[in-house]
Amino acid sequence: MKVLLLSSPCRYFKTMNTPILIVDDDPDMCWAISHIIESQGFNVITAYNGEEACFKLTHGDFSIVFLDAKLPDMDGLEVARRASTLLHEKPRIVLVSGYHYYDDPVVRHAIVEGIICGFLAKPFTNKELLKTLHTLSQAIE
Amino acid sequence: MPDNPFKKKSKNHFELLYNMLLDAIPSSVLMVDEKLHVVSVNQNFLLKSQRSNANTVGRPLSEVFPTVILENTGLEERIRNVFRSGSPVNGQKMTYRAPGVPIRIYYYSILPIPTNQIMLLMEDVTEQVRLSEEVRRVERHLASVVESASDIVLSTDIEGRILTWNSAAEKLSGLSSHEVHGRYFFEFCDTTQKQPVRLIFMRMKNSNESHTTEFHLLTPNNGGSILISWVFSPMKDDYGQTVGTVVVGRDLAERRKLELQLRQSQKLTALGVMAGGIAHEIRNPLAVCSSAAQFLLEDNITAEFHKECSKKIQANIQKASAIIENLLRFARSSLDTEMVEVELNAVLKETIDLVANQAKVQKIQILLPMQKKYILVSGVSGLLQQVFMNIFLNAINAMPEGGVLRIVVDTFEDRVVVRISDTGIGIPSGELDKIFDPFHTSSPVGQGTGLGLSICYSIIQQHLGSIQAESRYGEGATIIVTLPLL
Repeated sequence: MKVLLLSSPCRYFKTMNTPILIVDDDPDMCWAISHIIESQGFNVITAYNGEEACFKLTHGDFSIVFLDAKLPDMDGLEVARRASTLLHEKPRIVLVSGYHYYDDPVVRHAIVEGIICGFLAKPFTNKELLKTLHTLSQAIE
Repeated sequence: MPDNPFKKKSKNHFELLYNMLLDAIPSSVLMVDEKLHVVSVNQNFLLKSQRSNANTVGRPLSEVFPTVILENTGLEERIRNVFRSGSPVNGQKMTYRAPGVPIRIYYYSILPIPTNQIMLLMEDVTEQVRLSEEVRRVERHLASVVESASDIVLSTDIEGRILTWNSAAEKLSGLSSHEVHGRYFFEFCDTTQKQPVRLIFMRMKNSNESHTTEFHLLTPNNGGSILISWVFSPMKDDYGQTVGTVVVGRDLAERRKLELQLRQSQKLTALGVMAGGIAHEIRNPLAVCSSAAQFLLEDNITAEFHKECSKKIQANIQKASAIIENLLRFARSSLDTEMVEVELNAVLKETIDLVANQAKVQKIQILLPMQKKYILVSGVSGLLQQVFMNIFLNAINAMPEGGVLRIVVDTFEDRVVVRISDTGIGIPSGELDKIFDPFHTSSPVGQGTGLGLSICYSIIQQHLGSIQAESRYGEGATIIVTLPLL
């Protein structure tokens, strides 16, 4: 099992018309994720480091975020933590990482804390990513 | 009251003198006639045999000596032979036990004398036999200590000519003890060492101190040589005069083997530390390849996107492969040990590539100003890489909250100095001297072997360089590696 989703802790969502934020310092990784998500008719915005992600999160309107765990300037979980404290309407964040594994205590803890909604291990299949995306967007609708 | 010998009157002055003489000597003397009767005995015999003059003189030997002794030594027959042949019997051994006294050992002689008697001279050698047995036992013990040692133990005369050569020396050199005996020790030393070894022996003559050194011992029978760590010590006699030299040598091959094992295990520890960073770094390109390959499986994709996917796959496989190649090189490099010309910038660059992942994960910036010129040293690239890897990982570990790892390379006339500084917690001043000791570690139990810097130290020493640390607690640390330039 590579996908882990828990829907209960994140509650406040807006409609599906908002873009999806992809945070990863590897442009190729952003390219791949963007392509999968765009194929489903969603808009995508990318950020390449933690500061940029935080800035875009506070100045934009995102309901779903695909977030890399290791960014050059901060941990992905730090970005998620800031988002959950700074934003009134918390986006649903999926941690996408090659550094952690799905039953990693750090990941489980973050899910229980409610700062992320799910975890996707790299490398993932496009189907797995789509399934995650659909589960999240259905929860929003 | 003993008789006063000066007042004693005797018809025969010589008889008196003779008897006094016999009583004074520490041997037992018996005069025996042809019938094997005792004619006279001296005091010593009476004392040792616990007999009186009365029950000895005039009695047959068979009454005076215990039957067992007479049977074992064939004493009576020997005496008869002396009477017959007129030639003496010398230096026979006899073990004599008189009733109620401990066993004694005698050497006896049977001497014919002109008055148709023989003189039986018995000398008590019990004590000498016991002492010489003790001496032999101690000698045997010492010899077996020297022989059983796995180190080379040899002794030479004052000029350095070999006197003894133990079995470890025979085994390691392939030269037997009699092949080397009397030859100069320096003859068996490496060509470049002959003169220095001669000097060591000269110094031993007037020195009280040992001399420690390392050089190759020739093993002429297989045409090679082995590296030995030597200790020369002057051998002194009871008067403090140097009478020779004791040389003890230990085969370094075993130690080198252990060092290699330590280096390898330390390297595995480093690999373990890097594993996290590497996992992340390899899974990223894998994820890109995986997604791109799945795009290619979709129907109705444009030729342009098809091309883009293929390019991404190829580029990311390259990326993953480069990470693995660096790792392989690092993991295997301790196998080559030959010193060759090494370009130091390349070593530093390759090592930085290896730790870059880990640094990124910990938000550490690595600064290495570009060097235009080549810096050539003589060394083993893999070992030098291991040294820098260790220092970099230590620096990275010292900065859990991120920071800057700065590497400054300066060249001087004959040497290159690499300063590696971090902005971490620094090293407490008390710990600064200890950081190169084996097993000294500041990591929590289970997180460090403590071997890292001691291995760096031994590698840099092998490269004829030096390694030092500077630090002020709370202000980061700097490790300074100096290597001779080619």
